Amino acid sequence: MKDYEVIIGLETHIQLNTVTKIFCSCKADSWEDEPNTNICPVCSGLPGVLPVLNEEAVRKGAALAAAMHAEINPESRFDRKNYFYPDLPKGYQITQFDQPIGKGGCLDLKMPDGQTRHVRIHKLHLEEDAGKTKIEHGTRLVDFNRCGVPLVEMVTEPDLRSGDEAAQYLIQLRQLLRWIGVSEADMERGHLRCDANVSIRKRGSEVLNTKTEIKNVNSIDAVRQAIGEEAKRQVELVESGGTVKSYTLDWDADRGKLTMMRSKESEADYRYFREPDLLPVVLSEEKIEAIRAGLPELPMVRRERFEREYGLSAYDAEILTGERSLSEYFEAAVKCFGGGEKSISNWMINDLTRLMNDLDKTAAELILTPAFLAEIIRLVEEGKINAATGKNLLRKVEESGRDPVEIVEAEGLAVIADSGALRTQIEAILAGAPDEVANFKAGKESLLGWFVGQVMRATGGKADPKLTREILLELLKN
Amino acid sequence: MKLVSISAFEIAQKVRGGELKASQVTQEALAQIRKVDGIPGSLLPYQVSAEEERKVHAFIQVTEEMALAQAKKVDEAVANGEDPGMLAGVPISIKDIFCVEGTTTTAASRFLENFEAPYTATSVQKLIDAGGVILGKVNLDEFTFGSSTESSAYQPSTNNPWNTEHVPGGSSGGSAASVAAEETALSLGTDTGGSIRQPAAFCGVVGLKPTYGRISRLGLIAFSSSLDCPGPISRDVRDAALMLQAMAGQDPKDSTSSVRPVGNYLQALEQDVRGLRIGLSPDYEAVYYPDLETGEIHREPIQKEVHDAVLRAAEVLAKAGAEIVENVPMPNTRYGIPVYFVVSRIEAASNLHRFDGVKYGYRTKSEVRNLEELYRRTRAEGFGPEPKLRILMGMYLSAAGYSSDYYQHALKVRAMIRRDFDRVFDPIGEFSLDAMLTPTTAATAFKRKDVFGDSLLMQYSDQMTVASNHAGVPAVTIPAGLDDGGLPIGIQLIGNDFCEDMILRIGRAFEQKTQDDAWRKVRPQALGGEVQA
Ligand SMILES: [Zn+2]
Repeated sequence: MKDYEVIIGLETHIQLNTVTKIFCSCKADSWEDEPNTNICPVCSGLPGVLPVLNEEAVRKGAALAAAMHAEINPESRFDRKNYFYPDLPKGYQITQFDQPIGKGGCLDLKMPDGQTRHVRIHKLHLEEDAGKTKIEHGTRLVDFNRCGVPLVEMVTEPDLRSGDEAAQYLIQLRQLLRWIGVSEADMERGHLRCDANVSIRKRGSEVLNTKTEIKNVNSIDAVRQAIGEEAKRQVELVESGGTVKSYTLDWDADRGKLTMMRSKESEADYRYFREPDLLPVVLSEEKIEAIRAGLPELPMVRRERFEREYGLSAYDAEILTGERSLSEYFEAAVKCFGGGEKSISNWMINDLTRLMNDLDKTAAELILTPAFLAEIIRLVEEGKINAATGKNLLRKVEESGRDPVEIVEAEGLAVIADSGALRTQIEAILAGAPDEVANFKAGKESLLGWFVGQVMRATGGKADPKLTREILLELLKN
Repeated sequence: MKLVSISAFEIAQKVRGGELKASQVTQEALAQIRKVDGIPGSLLPYQVSAEEERKVHAFIQVTEEMALAQAKKVDEAVANGEDPGMLAGVPISIKDIFCVEGTTTTAASRFLENFEAPYTATSVQKLIDAGGVILGKVNLDEFTFGSSTESSAYQPSTNNPWNTEHVPGGSSGGSAASVAAEETALSLGTDTGGSIRQPAAFCGVVGLKPTYGRISRLGLIAFSSSLDCPGPISRDVRDAALMLQAMAGQDPKDSTSSVRPVGNYLQALEQDVRGLRIGLSPDYEAVYYPDLETGEIHREPIQKEVHDAVLRAAEVLAKAGAEIVENVPMPNTRYGIPVYFVVSRIEAASNLHRFDGVKYGYRTKSEVRNLEELYRRTRAEGFGPEPKLRILMGMYLSAAGYSSDYYQHALKVRAMIRRDFDRVFDPIGEFSLDAMLTPTTAATAFKRKDVFGDSLLMQYSDQMTVASNHAGVPAVTIPAGLDDGGLPIGIQLIGNDFCEDMILRIGRAFEQKTQDDAWRKVRPQALGGEVQA
């Protein structure tokens, strides 16, 4: 295995999150709908119908191209890919062949070991999805709901070198898609689908050997595992004197096994030609500029800026830029606080993310605004409340939507920093524990902790710990 | 005068004015169909009696109930003082390639025998909205693939009303024949390489192929999507203008329909032709076709009477004040058919992919072992010979490795054909023409069975018309006389993009200047006229 290098290219299909389909006004997302309920004459391929391009799909496709550092073609075109299959009602798929919306592009992978892998994009185009078929009790059933759902097909160059890298590509791609808001990128729901092309070669060699294509590697784990299995199989085959043949393989995620689907020796001829029912997609310079300008700062750029600008560790910066609204939340909180980036980062990573997980909310969905979080941290840092109270406040604010200061006042959560009032309470506690006082005075100073605990219990944790120790020592030593 | 003989323009005027009931016009049209049409085309075996041989057989389906209901609605509107529309009460037949809700839409194919579309074509809907009365669906070549209507799966196919031993032309043969036989005032046809103009010329009526994109294609079962144009067939130019007016305009459901504002076509007819520049081209005096063995190009001069009719029309127009420009070169006209063979077959093969027996239409009745067999048998049994031939050719021409030789090359030649028109219509160019005047067909209607079966020869009957489809420009055919056999001759006016108003205006002028010609008094055989020996 060590003598070999694995060469991987990924082909992804990305479902754009438009409201309607790409060529008709049917609802695009049918995840929870009955078969054949989101269909019309256009997407079910009745005679005489014509496609009308959804501008939003073009905009989102172009935005993805821009985010992938691809060139956006000012004039792209649609073509017909002709083949017969029951899930393809027109008998051709409308796709982009030689004049796609994007040209070139790349994604830099930040590997956990700190290395960077530069992955080039070979192809990026818009197309319509096909339907689904299944065989039930010997009958083939067809569901056209997915027909005409807008997709971007994006294919990498064979630039990936391991299952881990392929997995990282999908992780970063998924992050990017959600970040720029063009896809929900939910792999379970098929918003992001992946096929992997795998070949091996002796280290140091520059040739590209025969590859196999693994279909349906539709989770991050599946990509990692399936590629690992396939690379192992190829190495063993070659080592034992065999040759790799151009197969299409299917990944069975449940059994963790590859099965051969068919030989790819005879490539299908799709007889591509221009789609005469659609005009060329023309994007003016201004439009392209507007699409680029509309893109948010991209995740990798923001991650590096967080390290630089706020002095965050690489680890903290990665977590805070894992999702766009989280990173925006962070910056908003820093702004409200007027600094405090280190403690905000700590609070967010340690406490806020737990709250988000518990409530299954993104940062953008929190009722606890960045301003509220900044306020809570300030209250703690100024000693107005203690840390434990602060942490509880997070949930209270989230649940009530009330201002933290207001809650502190209404519920009397502020630290007791009035030495007179505290002294009276402590005197009462000491009076009630004569044995412990005697023991302490006899030299058992470790009892101080027990006294502090008693004070905290009596004050509901609101006593200022420093002041408590001072008064205790003063009274006990006399 | 009988109601079925008067023009659509007059019917609409009278119905709107309350002088005439739409229901009455509809009843008379239905009676005329019963009288002259004979048995409707069908998939069933049939025997044609000598009497049936002399019938028109334009209709596949007469939608009597629908027509009467539409007529009633028009009459009610008039009675209520509402505007029933510019086509109020006008009987219209629809080529059976348009989807119309409430009818079966067969495309003259076994494949769609029982197909009922759940929606109505935009063009048809506009006709209905304008008060038109849809009489039914008329015959055509299967999926519009042909020039004689003989390839229809629905037999008997349509006869030429002027001489029922001759074909009506095609593929809109049922449309042209139904108008010529006065079964209807108007018909909606489609023109991909000449399918409106050639049958209109053969049947002695007016047929207009508008600019590509002027009328929505939605609901028209596609043959060759980059060439297909719906258009009117009528008995005079004014009726064609009226029908175009009702249908023209952008359709948000057809991306290739034009956003250009629609002109006032009827108003344009009131202008004369003084000062207009009309071109004659030597490239429209002969048909050019390759020798199948040697590939050598043969030149066959067009029928003399047809050529004479064009020259006579030029004289008439010159006398009316137009300037005739001779020797206008249109050198790429002769490549129109070869280019058409490539482009239309490739698009057709793809457009027919959807007919696979999975969703609708014909599915083989025999047991199949797998999906591929379902496709093979269904398509083998469902399609007639002409669609099969076109699918085979389209598949071959677009196959990897051939596409660059044929398709890409054809697209280049198509652009050259377009440039021929750009040059002659260029307002500051050498010719600055307002229209070209050409024959519509190289010869008058051929006899039934004479050409059918020779797909290549059949295709060459579109040589005079196909160039304007490639270029996308509008063209209209107008009756211009009868040949020695008493068969109609058509002349063609071709205009610049979206200049339908111009060619209609010239056509109308010609019509008016020749209205007292003796040939105009001759009646078609189906209407009781004598057939010349
Ligand atoms: Zn739809």
